[in-house]
Amino acid sequence: MGGKVSCTLGEVTNRADFIIFWGGNPAECHPRHFTKYSLTPKGRFVPDGRKGRTAVLVDIRETPSAKAADIFLQLRPSKDFEVLTTLRALIKDQRVDPAAVAETGLTLEQLQDLVDRMKKARFGAMFFGMGLSMTRGKHMNSGALLNLAAEMNAFTKFVCMPMRGHGNVTGADVVLRYTTGYPFGVNLSRGYPRYNPGEFSTVDLLVRGDNDAAFILGADPGATMPQPAIEHLASIPTIVLDPKVTHTSRLSRVHITTAVTGVSAPGTAYRMDEIPLPLAPALRSPYPTDEEVVRRIRRAVARRPAWQPVDENVRSAIA
Amino acid sequence: MTRETKRLLMNAVRTTKQGQQINVGKDGAEYREIVETLGMHPEDLKAVGAVSGGRVRVRSEYGEVTFKCVEAKKAPQGMIVVPYGPPTCHLMGRYTDGTGMPTSKGWEVEVEPVASETPAGEAAAIDTAARR
Repeated sequence: MGGKVSCTLGEVTNRADFIIFWGGNPAECHPRHFTKYSLTPKGRFVPDGRKGRTAVLVDIRETPSAKAADIFLQLRPSKDFEVLTTLRALIKDQRVDPAAVAETGLTLEQLQDLVDRMKKARFGAMFFGMGLSMTRGKHMNSGALLNLAAEMNAFTKFVCMPMRGHGNVTGADVVLRYTTGYPFGVNLSRGYPRYNPGEFSTVDLLVRGDNDAAFILGADPGATMPQPAIEHLASIPTIVLDPKVTHTSRLSRVHITTAVTGVSAPGTAYRMDEIPLPLAPALRSPYPTDEEVVRRIRRAVARRPAWQPVDENVRSAIA
Repeated sequence: MTRETKRLLMNAVRTTKQGQQINVGKDGAEYREIVETLGMHPEDLKAVGAVSGGRVRVRSEYGEVTFKCVEAKKAPQGMIVVPYGPPTCHLMGRYTDGTGMPTSKGWEVEVEPVASETPAGEAAAIDTAARR
């Protein structure tokens, strides 16, 4: 895989004249994205704003975002990887079987037209959502799109960026990356970080029942994860820190109400382009911040003697 | 009870209203209504034998849940669209294929109409302990 060729959203605003949204529905899920960054704002090198940009939406259904796009390409479910690899072939003028393309729900002419437009762009930006990364193919789909963006740079400037979901999920990735070297699925039980998605990732740990306690911060797995993972959370000591009582709070042993970050607690949030933004709270909260609670728990844990495994032979010798 | 069982592709999505209600609180009737209502193409509704506003039972490999169903003209034929939430957790696959990411969209499910007195969102996870 060719890594991520990316940029800031400011560059998209000021430079991008060709935007592709793939497997995402920003009109519903990121309602300010079009108006603040990607479609309607006038930029330094896009002085006409929306008129100076071409927007393409690729998805399996006609979502409200289709109205905002100039071109809507509706493909069949789970055919993203096939379409992306076809596009990678077409940009290199390789021969493609029209019958194979037809199985994706699109025609070769549609894809060739897209490639021609992409090559004519001055600055192309591709944004992808969970429709690409959470369907069959998963990271291979994302990798194919990232590769397409990287390979487009042989012809013109192209960048690619995931449309991240809830607030500051990018921050969790970035902080884990610069502290451990890995973005998620990190195991620190040996005293050094080990990374193995599928083994150390949250859903897998919970579904297999490998962990015997859970500390949930700013998330509600009780409303989003597969049912066996939820049942395991309910069966072990689970501690939840959240400003609201969530589904996870209900199945936890302890819920600690905390102040809302960005509203009544300061902090730093990473935007989806990995730009850190300081948060200035507008209100005061009677509740402690997440950081304060975590620090207090750490201090309390530090006061307890460290647990050491004891060899049974040594124990019996002492006795 | 069962008139017809139809296999469809279920696509879990997010909506703006759902996002607003998450910030209001997930205990609210409006949030529950959103995550307990699925949309499907009018032809699929007919094929299933359900009516818009009626209830259907959705069964995946992993569990089953009842939803209120409504007509969604823009949903492609053969596809169900439903906002993520506690009911969809029962239908979601547990395996991540070594990626850490469960397959959160595109589940093959069976759909059948149910008697209207069955409350939407009622879930019956199938023997999860035995599957572990």
